[in-house]
Amino acid sequence: MSPLASRPTAFVPARWGVLISTQSFFALLAFVLLTGCGPSVNRYLLIEASLRAHDPKGADAIVAVAEKDYGSKSRVLYGMDRGMTLQLAGDYQQSNAVLEQAEEELDRLYTRRIRTETLAFMTNDTALPYEGDPYEQVLINVLKALNYAVLGQWQDALVEARRIDHRLNVLSDRTKEKNAYRDDGFARYLSGILYESTGDVNNAFIAYRKAYESLEATRAWSHTAVPSQLRVDLLRTAEALHFTQELTEYQSVFPTTRWETSQALQQLAQVVVISYNGRAPRKEDQFLDLPISLDALQLVLLNRGFSQSSRHSNRAVDTALYGLNGRVIRVALPRLVPQKTRVPVDRVRLISDNGIRVTLNTELVHNVTAMADKALAERMAGVTVKALARAATKFALAEGATRGAQHAAGKDAAPWVGLLVGLLTKGLAVASEEADKRSWQTLPDEIHLARAWVLPGRYEVQSQAAGGPLDPLNPEAMQTLSLGPGETTVLIQRVMP
Amino acid sequence: MSVLHRGQIGLVALAVLSLVGCAQETRITRVDSGVVTDLSGRWNDTDSRIVAESMVKEALEYQWLNNFSSSKHRQPVVVVGTIQNSSHEHINVNTFVADLERELTNSQKITFVAGKGDREELRTERKEQAMYAREDTQKAPGKEIGADFMMKGTIATILDEADGTKAVFYQVDLQMVDLESNAKVWFGQKKIKKVVEKKRSIF
Repeated sequence: MSPLASRPTAFVPARWGVLISTQSFFALLAFVLLTGCGPSVNRYLLIEASLRAHDPKGADAIVAVAEKDYGSKSRVLYGMDRGMTLQLAGDYQQSNAVLEQAEEELDRLYTRRIRTETLAFMTNDTALPYEGDPYEQVLINVLKALNYAVLGQWQDALVEARRIDHRLNVLSDRTKEKNAYRDDGFARYLSGILYESTGDVNNAFIAYRKAYESLEATRAWSHTAVPSQLRVDLLRTAEALHFTQELTEYQSVFPTTRWETSQALQQLAQVVVISYNGRAPRKEDQFLDLPISLDALQLVLLNRGFSQSSRHSNRAVDTALYGLNGRVIRVALPRLVPQKTRVPVDRVRLISDNGIRVTLNTELVHNVTAMADKALAERMAGVTVKALARAATKFALAEGATRGAQHAAGKDAAPWVGLLVGLLTKGLAVASEEADKRSWQTLPDEIHLARAWVLPGRYEVQSQAAGGPLDPLNPEAMQTLSLGPGETTVLIQRVMP
Repeated sequence: MSVLHRGQIGLVALAVLSLVGCAQETRITRVDSGVVTDLSGRWNDTDSRIVAESMVKEALEYQWLNNFSSSKHRQPVVVVGTIQNSSHEHINVNTFVADLERELTNSQKITFVAGKGDREELRTERKEQAMYAREDTQKAPGKEIGADFMMKGTIATILDEADGTKAVFYQVDLQMVDLESNAKVWFGQKKIKKVVEKKRSIF
């Protein structure tokens, strides 16, 4: 067993309480009742309500109840969502179990089924199994690594660090474009922290260096600067390994950065704070209605209005109108809706038994919204081409079916049979058009990190958003830690919104 | 619709329902524990058993055993230490350690003593015996046999993957360390290479 023990995190079950809060109970009840009426209810709103009420167990119950609603095509998404809510609820082992299942399912999804692909081409992309974007796949391993670290299973946490490395290496080999998402600064940085916490300084330095290079390379679109703590970590590990050349280089790049030597930190206890801030972006449909005749153009303009946004359209009305007209092709594309957090920095305060106060200010290390934006932008060209091809095929098939039915009906019945079949087939083509709006929505908008070494002892932990007051009713605001020399403690907290 | 027609439809429906009822999503077959079952390409029971058998056999064939037996006129006492998992998989190291312990014990060429975890339990039992057991049945402390050698090692992997083909290279390193002098008297290595190929598309 590793000498480095981990302590319960900010989200230990006792702090959240065993019972689900009244607010979450009603949210869960509403969800159970509403799911019976159809899939229109947005479970993520209810999860969010539970998290706001500091009831991650309630949020997890909502995901658990909805397991069947995810369906066989979204097993990976269920694992992702559940893995996150279980982690927030403090059930780290179960969180790892479902995330492991999601990862195995992901592995199986490498092999595509032609039947499923064909069905998706004829209907929409929601018929495809959800694989998640590459950044989401990496986050599966990140969450597992954090779970193991919190449980004090450092060797297992390192297994996840190695898997992250392998996943990113494969991604990097596969992705030719230099500016694309082909490495992950946060995942690399976390791997480095795990390696260093278990005494593997060499691998830690390599991971820090890759994190630095990745963050620098993606800065333009990830909107994430190199955290000041990472600079310190690079200098400290380069010095510990006697990498003189690297140390000189980094010193010239970060001339004002000061650091403590590894030797000086050996007898101290390390605290790592991971803060999940806000909500991940959601996706919505963006409909493009393409008229192929003048009267269809008039209909589309009349239906939409010049300035009205397509997302407010009534799909039932559109289906009937465009089905009757028969000269409108509908294309649905996904659009990202950011839900930015209003918490730029979190502050975690450690107060020792003898009154020493240590304040940790978290730094942005992973901008999930920027990652989602980039992932969608990279896929958009392919999605658009596929959507156009699908819409054209559907229209051609509907047209063929209409003419075939008219021909079969004979001269007298042809007009009304054509109208009826056209309404049905073209209406179906319009109605079935839907963008794939699935994404890992239990993720935060941003992930923040803070790292500090403190004197061993007992500490009271207080958490608050910078500038905001400490809410005494907030159960995540207080907890006690007992830190031993050389130990690493990981604290995980969710800050809403 | 005629009665006959309805009857035919009913029969067909019944047959379909019966077939659906018979279809099983999960099928379980009992197999011998020695049967090789490579399902995912990951480290499995077969790897654990084969590596333990071959490495212990190799370890006991080397000269260190004879050297010790001839100089001390007794079998060496061996304990299994930490087997570090440095791989990409969550390998249950305990089953591998158990396989090693079984092979060492059954070899009859060495005296094998309980590892760290087991020792703690045994010591607790002795303490409790001292308090609660009849005096003539109590086992006294301080009579444990100290090990002469510790077997320890690592399981590491090297992964290479491209276009659905994954090469997994397992390397298990075991070493026998003299507990008095820290001298490594034996160093064994076993390598397993697996290639996992996945089709990009199926019907």
